[in-house]
Amino acid sequence: MITRRRFGQYSLSAGATTLILPKGWARAQGTRPELTVAVDNLWANINTINGISTTTRRFFPNIYSHLVERDYLADEQGLTLRPGLATEWNRDGKVWTLKLREGVKFHNGETMTAEDVAFTLGPERLWGEEPFEPRGKTFTAGFTRVEAVDDLTVEIETETEDPYIPGKLTGYIGFVVPKAAYLDMGVDAFGQAPIGTGPYRVTLFRSGEVLEMEAFDDYWEGPPPASKISWRIVPEFAGRMAGLVSGEFDFIVNIPTDQEPQLQSYDDVTLARALAGNYPAFAFNCRPDPEDNPLVDANLRKGMVQAIDMDSIVQALFGDTTFHPAVPFNFPEYGDFYDPDMVNPLPYDPEAARAKIEQSGYDGQTLDWHITRDFYPNYEAAAQIMVEMWRQVGVNVRAEILDNFELVYARPYHMMNMSMSTDFIPGDPYQPLWLDWGPTSSRATATWKTWDPTEEYLEAGREFEAATTFEARKEAYLKLSQAWQDVTPGYYLWKSVYNWAHRSNIDFVPRPDGEMRMFGDYMSLPS
Amino acid sequence: MLRFWLIKLLRTVVTLWLVVTFAFIVLRTSGDPVVALLGADARPDEVEYFRRLWGLDQPLIVQYLNYIVQMATGQFGMSLRDHRAVIDIIAERLPATVELGLTAFAIAAIIGIPAGIIAALRRGGVLDRLIMTIAVFGFALPNFFLGILMILLFSLTLRILPSSGTGTWQHLVMPSITLATFTAGSLARFTRSSMLEVLEKPYMRAAAAKGASFSRRVLFHAFPNAAIPIVTVIGLNLGQLVAGAIVVETVFAWPGIGRLLVVAVSQRDLAVVQGLVLVIAATMVMANLLVDLLYGLLDPRIREAST
Repeated sequence: MITRRRFGQYSLSAGATTLILPKGWARAQGTRPELTVAVDNLWANINTINGISTTTRRFFPNIYSHLVERDYLADEQGLTLRPGLATEWNRDGKVWTLKLREGVKFHNGETMTAEDVAFTLGPERLWGEEPFEPRGKTFTAGFTRVEAVDDLTVEIETETEDPYIPGKLTGYIGFVVPKAAYLDMGVDAFGQAPIGTGPYRVTLFRSGEVLEMEAFDDYWEGPPPASKISWRIVPEFAGRMAGLVSGEFDFIVNIPTDQEPQLQSYDDVTLARALAGNYPAFAFNCRPDPEDNPLVDANLRKGMVQAIDMDSIVQALFGDTTFHPAVPFNFPEYGDFYDPDMVNPLPYDPEAARAKIEQSGYDGQTLDWHITRDFYPNYEAAAQIMVEMWRQVGVNVRAEILDNFELVYARPYHMMNMSMSTDFIPGDPYQPLWLDWGPTSSRATATWKTWDPTEEYLEAGREFEAATTFEARKEAYLKLSQAWQDVTPGYYLWKSVYNWAHRSNIDFVPRPDGEMRMFGDYMSLPS
Repeated sequence: MLRFWLIKLLRTVVTLWLVVTFAFIVLRTSGDPVVALLGADARPDEVEYFRRLWGLDQPLIVQYLNYIVQMATGQFGMSLRDHRAVIDIIAERLPATVELGLTAFAIAAIIGIPAGIIAALRRGGVLDRLIMTIAVFGFALPNFFLGILMILLFSLTLRILPSSGTGTWQHLVMPSITLATFTAGSLARFTRSSMLEVLEKPYMRAAAAKGASFSRRVLFHAFPNAAIPIVTVIGLNLGQLVAGAIVVETVFAWPGIGRLLVVAVSQRDLAVVQGLVLVIAATMVMANLLVDLLYGLLDPRIREAST
């Protein structure tokens, strides 16, 4: 915990020592402050893949380092890639060659080699028959070979040419683990006492209580600014807020939108926000299950979309913090794919909505909308408003707030809540448009599936997957997006917002991926 | 006497079996643990893989029998959530709940019982009405509400107590008072009514006639006779302290078994929930046994009847 007095002490001692000692020495000698972060939750394990969640993403980069980094300091969408543990990457057809950084140390003192990287990305761990972390298959689709060529060179071969491998390595699969320690400990034990190459090493992990980490001074980018960080679970927001204001905590997370002004009213507290690469949405059940489902008619779905004044809803619930993406998949984080002038084919228009609904032959039947309680901020409030807007155009929707996703997935239903992420490949709409709606997605294959991809969509998707140049990919993207919009199997509400609050004397740069980087140019502490 | 204890033991075993079975049925029929643990975005093949890995693809009856056999042989199994031994997880969290529960219980007894006695002795007076008003207030105030109010007052505004967590005696103050409030109110009310009943008994008049002092009459004649219903309430409230801890531990981020139970239920972590349910049920059973023993100590008639 940082207090004014302690800051004063740090300032004096740092000032004196920096006159006579080399840069970084003082930090390495334990004169750095400790930080406490109050979080709403941790996770059951800290495995890079089995432990995937919003809550682990916050602290992962403090423990593990990526092979390739997204540079959010260079551009706010993070479309610039820069070297991480890999210093170079080159493609020759289906084979990518990664050159690794020399002399990188793991927290157990071992030096990182190409063997570690090959194991990290390999079949034994991620994509074989019975891998240690089977969720890795999603992120390594198309991998056929990962091999250490020499101590600092790794080759990745894919089934078809894949120009997006460096982008994929900025995600969860790009966090490198030490092969020997991982195999020795086993995946479960490793997830409780993880070893990475990041700036902090884990010293204590109790999944329901606290995660403690201390500075790892052999970190490849130099000693980090804090000597220790405690991530403590404080489930109640009132407790997190009180702790931050009273000085017990240095950071808190997940601030309800309506509580932001309260926090901003304190002089020594700073609010930080970032628009996340994620969009809450709802899916229409487009299938004849239940048999009398009127939503099988696209006119009804499109009419319901045109009945929603989502800009007003977002303004009422979030102010100017976020926005409603009027055209699906035309998201600003997609760089050159994004067209700010794209025309919305289904704008808010109650008259047009009534006409389409009438055309569908909808007879007033009640449509059940399954919603997971408290899962997406402000979702229930927005749902109430939408239900009323639909009532205005003659559609009866019953929002059923349910305790968990298992209940949401239980048939029968006509609509359900969902959200979709956009950052699997930086600057490319692959994830929300194809991975999340495509023929292998949950939405099209699970017992609770909500649509059957059309032939037009599948054909456009195959073109999209095969495209290796930007021009070809953009053309396929527009076609694929159009095929999706012809069906309109869902509706994107707004771009999610991550928020944090911290002591004002800490400089902190929030990231849209939710990572809280307590090092480098993303955070500086008073000295 | 032996038969008496054997019947009690048999009842205990049946109670525990029923509790565990009920927890199994409710948890396994109200949601899929794999979906709960992997999250909403998990693909069907991932869900199937983990279902196989954790034996959840077996018929329900097979899973149930396996579990009962495990329990009977003293194995609580492994947590689905973090793959650690359930016994270790519970052992890690139990001391915090015991510390909080015992402190709260001590506070409740120290405040509630004397307050009830004073209210009975001042029946109908201002003091009686004041104490009973406070008792009803404490009895009726929801834990989470009182807890958050205390955080806002003592941590946010006055900044004299830590808002959450554990480690020092200051951390214990707000959670234990919050947890004790309900029990203190309840004890005060029961103590008052029990004392009122006893104070009107002929032996109290006889004690006064024999010249026993006021304090002697209250402490050695009235209170021991009023204690049996109070002990019953104390026994019931021991269980209530564990149940109340679920809310209080969440509000104050107290790392005990209450919060562990909330997380385990929401994640459908069956092994942990059943381990906890057993611990909580065993606590209740032990509390009841202690109450039975105290009955014997307090009332010679009961002691003699059971020998």
